[in-house]
Amino acid sequence: MVCAICSIRIFGIEMLETVPTPSARPAATLEIEGLTIEFRARGRVQRVVDRVNLRIAPGEIVGLIGESGSGKTLTALSVLGLLPRGARIRSGLIRLSGTSLLDLSEDEWRAIRGDRVAFIPQDALRALNPVFPIGLQVGEPLNIHRGTPWQIAKHKAIELLRSVHLRDAEERAEEYPHQFSGGMQQRAMVAMGLALEPQLLIADEPTTALDVTVQAQVLKLLREIRDAHGTSILFITHDLGVVADLCDRVYVMYAGLGIEEGSVEHIFYRPSHPYTQALLRATPTIRAVEKELVSIPGQIPSPDNLPTGCRFADRCPVAFERCGEEPPPFQVGGGHLARCWRCATPQ
Amino acid sequence: MTDEMLNPPLSRLKSNRRGASFRRHGLLAIGGFLVALVFIAALLAPVLAPYSPYDLDVPSMLQAPSAAHWLGTDELGRDVLSRTIYAAQISVQVALTAVCVGLVGGTLIGVVAAYFGELVDALLMRLMELLFSFPAILLAIILMASLGTSILNAMIAIGIIFIPGFARLARAATRDVLRQQYVEAARAIGMSDFRILAREILPNVAAPLLVEAAVAFAYAVLLESALSFLGLGAQPPYASWGNMLNTGRGFLAQAPWLGIVPGMALFMSVLGFNLVGDGLRDLLDPHLRD
Repeated sequence: MVCAICSIRIFGIEMLETVPTPSARPAATLEIEGLTIEFRARGRVQRVVDRVNLRIAPGEIVGLIGESGSGKTLTALSVLGLLPRGARIRSGLIRLSGTSLLDLSEDEWRAIRGDRVAFIPQDALRALNPVFPIGLQVGEPLNIHRGTPWQIAKHKAIELLRSVHLRDAEERAEEYPHQFSGGMQQRAMVAMGLALEPQLLIADEPTTALDVTVQAQVLKLLREIRDAHGTSILFITHDLGVVADLCDRVYVMYAGLGIEEGSVEHIFYRPSHPYTQALLRATPTIRAVEKELVSIPGQIPSPDNLPTGCRFADRCPVAFERCGEEPPPFQVGGGHLARCWRCATPQ
Repeated sequence: MTDEMLNPPLSRLKSNRRGASFRRHGLLAIGGFLVALVFIAALLAPVLAPYSPYDLDVPSMLQAPSAAHWLGTDELGRDVLSRTIYAAQISVQVALTAVCVGLVGGTLIGVVAAYFGELVDALLMRLMELLFSFPAILLAIILMASLGTSILNAMIAIGIIFIPGFARLARAATRDVLRQQYVEAARAIGMSDFRILAREILPNVAAPLLVEAAVAFAYAVLLESALSFLGLGAQPPYASWGNMLNTGRGFLAQAPWLGIVPGMALFMSVLGFNLVGDGLRDLLDPHLRD
């Protein structure tokens, strides 16, 4: 009887595996499912992130695009358990290599931050403590998570600084953040993030404050890190050029909702959502010099006053009656999803 | 406004800068010199003082300044210079202890209030306001009355008076630091609350607190003298500028040096600590830095 039960159960699992559900794919580094984040301010509840799904495979670089206020940074901070005061995860799942993060205690969160997940902020100068030398700060995660003595952590920090191509790392480790240039500060932040070889690196617009040549160096560095360590990277930005350059797959967020996802090729060559299309038209490129840059009319809706239908409808050039209802994500083909009624029928 | 006011000639700008530089470094140097004098007097009193501050010499009482007694003698024939030098010991001892009590207590309360916020913040800061609502000298007298008159209790009482000031400053500075991205970055590498307080917040709020400490030092010297003047601080036969002033008050007509000498010592040391405080503030303030 037992054997019979076993075989049935085995059979059941086999049956499940043949169905291509997301949970049956090889374990992702990061899986976010139906994440909903709400802000409570002066008695009102604002839904700032709405049923967002996101998946990053090991060694994959995923871009998260959206304008300010689209919820992309909150989505990233929720992976670190560092939502600002007043923000609360209403529902959803966040899994890091299969372990669910949302029911962790504060101590368990602390053990993950900086060790399994590292965060690279936008403004490296402001993210470095002005009163300590760089080397000390880069080696700090080792001291926090592994109890590495300072002397050894410092040597490791110099190695890390060398690995991010900082020249004269030994002398530079003794310097203070304000003595570094913007690019060097960002490299130092990357080095600190790499200290414990995390599975996931979350970079929140790390190149926005840098000039273009330095930006290219930092992007190259991130790609090298991925290739050398198999680190997964979640890259948050509003710069489409950087995404095309760096990422494997892209998620586009608008007003707290994921509206399109797909490979870089899909998003850039066959954008399906009118918002993504508009974003691409609004991005300056060399070839487009003679063309006029198109800005998107209107504003992102406030989370206080979200439309019942498609959130982009009132700015959308191709909206029709059905856009009054919220569209589900439609398969455009090959893992390319877009939340637009226009994708439901062949155009 | 005249044209010259709007566009001052370059030479004047330069002299202004030199003036500002003197105000910063010259006054700091003068303050530093005065403070150094007080500390040297306190540390080397047994070496520097020509006589014992306690030995009575009744036959030579109330002598005017002379080669034997540079600053004269008091009503019991004790050497005024020696007593003034020894009194610096009491002043420095009291001020150091009181400022430490105020700095440590106030910083702890202010930083904790700002970091944990909400209820902790409200409770601690209301308590500080309660302390603040008493005039300092009155609060000191109340505390001395309940603790008993001794120099140790004077130190504690003055320290308690300083706590609310340091607490408010520490709270404001901490709230400022908490808004900085490096605190968020510290959380993102898995730092604990205690470690964030110790490594991210304290080092970054230290500068304004140290300036306040220098200014509080001047105030502590003054408060100690006031308490000793009222008979609540240093008890005879120990010499304090405050109780020397009180004695001198009775002999102002016959022996003015009994009042003038400790008065000048008090004035110079308070001036010195204030100048050092101002100088430090300018030196540590990034907005005023060249």
